[in-house]
Amino acid sequence: MKKQFLTKVLPAAVMAACFTSPAQATNWLMLQGTERADQAPRAKLWGFVQLDYQQTDDTKLKAGPYAGKSAAFNQMAPQLDTPSGFNVKRARIGVRGNNLPLDKKVNYFLLAEMGNNGVTTGEGASQGQLTDASVTLNHIPGARVRVGLFKTPGSEEGLQAAFVANYNNFSNATNRLLLERTFDYQSGNTGRNGPVGAFRDTGVQVFDTFNLGGWETSYAVMIGNGAGLAYTDNDQNRDTYLYASTEKVFGSSKGPRRHGFKLYAWNQAGQRSYNDGTPSSSGADTDEDRTRRGVGTTYFDGTYRLGAEYMTADGMIYGGTTGAGTPDDGATFTVLPDQKADGYYVSLGYRPMSNVELDVRYDRLNSGTDKNGTGGAGAKRVFETTTLGAQYFFNKKTTLKANYEIRSIDAPNSNDTVNRILDSIDDRISLQLTAVF
Amino acid sequence: MFKQKVNLFILSWLATLLFSANVVAAAQEPPLPETFATHKVVLQISDPNPFKQTLVLNVANNLMKHYDAGDLDLEIVAFGPGLRLMLEGNANTARIQSLMDVGVRFSGCANTHKHFTKILGSKPPLIEGVSVVPAGAARILQLNAAGYQILKP
Repeated sequence: MKKQFLTKVLPAAVMAACFTSPAQATNWLMLQGTERADQAPRAKLWGFVQLDYQQTDDTKLKAGPYAGKSAAFNQMAPQLDTPSGFNVKRARIGVRGNNLPLDKKVNYFLLAEMGNNGVTTGEGASQGQLTDASVTLNHIPGARVRVGLFKTPGSEEGLQAAFVANYNNFSNATNRLLLERTFDYQSGNTGRNGPVGAFRDTGVQVFDTFNLGGWETSYAVMIGNGAGLAYTDNDQNRDTYLYASTEKVFGSSKGPRRHGFKLYAWNQAGQRSYNDGTPSSSGADTDEDRTRRGVGTTYFDGTYRLGAEYMTADGMIYGGTTGAGTPDDGATFTVLPDQKADGYYVSLGYRPMSNVELDVRYDRLNSGTDKNGTGGAGAKRVFETTTLGAQYFFNKKTTLKANYEIRSIDAPNSNDTVNRILDSIDDRISLQLTAVF
Repeated sequence: MFKQKVNLFILSWLATLLFSANVVAAAQEPPLPETFATHKVVLQISDPNPFKQTLVLNVANNLMKHYDAGDLDLEIVAFGPGLRLMLEGNANTARIQSLMDVGVRFSGCANTHKHFTKILGSKPPLIEGVSVVPAGAARILQLNAAGYQILKP
């Protein structure tokens, strides 16, 4: 068997690696981690801006400790202090390329965020926050090595470039299970202790893409600090990330909206350290698991688009604010350190014209599903959102998106008070103008 | 008398040297293609901007489509930073090979190749089928003198 591997499988793998031309499209591993061979400049300046307007009816909380006051889920993130308004949601600028243009085996990627969002808020975050700083070494056929701070291999919604997202807001599962908020304590936190994780980590990733029978097949294995955008590791635990995808590319289309049919699966595992007390009554530091895994698919042929993903979570899960109140009214943030969750989304798009896309997405998150976990059966929350959307493409790099989100949250195992609090959630409208340069 | 002989020797040595140099230069001059094409074009790529690589290949492709087979003789000559187009593994390798298949010649500058080798510390291989010419600029002048029109997109 070993001999067969050495004589047949290994040469085939090496050949596949040698004849793989880097794909620069919706293969996010390659698009973000490599440059086109002998095509990249020393430093390509690039970035994008996303200008946002969001609005809810600002329905006040119907019950609970903050009854009559603003509901956190009806306010605009990240400040949670207004139900409507304009916002420079993302403003990113970066450079990328081959530092020595002649050497196609080394490339780099640098990006900073200056918009108003979870990345630039939280303790220690900066209005000019570094989000990506990586170097890729392409010396070993079939095993490119990317080192630094960058997007971790995982969910399509997190891994894809924000400027080609088809909706203004993340699905519930991605938002609450993957967009990690970090806190010092399990409860009583007045705010995050840093920027959101932004689907990123600092570490080392080995990855590559092969053409297997006409299917562009990729893998990635990464080990990281598990500390999101933080510059240093906040504990001695490392996160591991596994990712595999295979995509049938249709025709010769290119770019981040390439036509193709992709299947993918991913797994992320690590631990997080929390104090099991509150800021006013400190407890013991504990390490809690944080495991996420998922499978998904994308399809786009230029007219019809499909995206679907299912994911599960085990361990630390974001718990929102107490009584759904806002920080301005004294509500604090909680974490469910040992719970389970699962969620999914199904998204469909149709382009009646080349510059117009109509979208609909249904997504559901079952959070706190472990009756033996933190908070018991009463911790269960079911988040459901149906998003109706339209996109208008002014050109390839400028898009206007309009969304109407029909939202609900239920607590099937909780009392009437809790469900009345959750009934306060409004539908949400949003507009977003995106320009990439 | 002796002085005259020495001068004669030096002159003849210089003449021999000059003649030899010409012979060597002539030997290094790459051959001109034998063609009966009505249109003869040489495309120059010497720009560091990678976008120019795509542009040059697009122009070559469009010219090949525009003229009937045998009516166009086309050579792409790369020198300076433009030689990156012809390095093995270039993202456009498949396009280059398909242009070669329809008769487009690719010539890379030996001087630049030598310079790349010095920078990288090892000789970067060129795409199979690329001819090496002693000097890319000289090759363009040679083709121009033979009736080729120079295009630099």
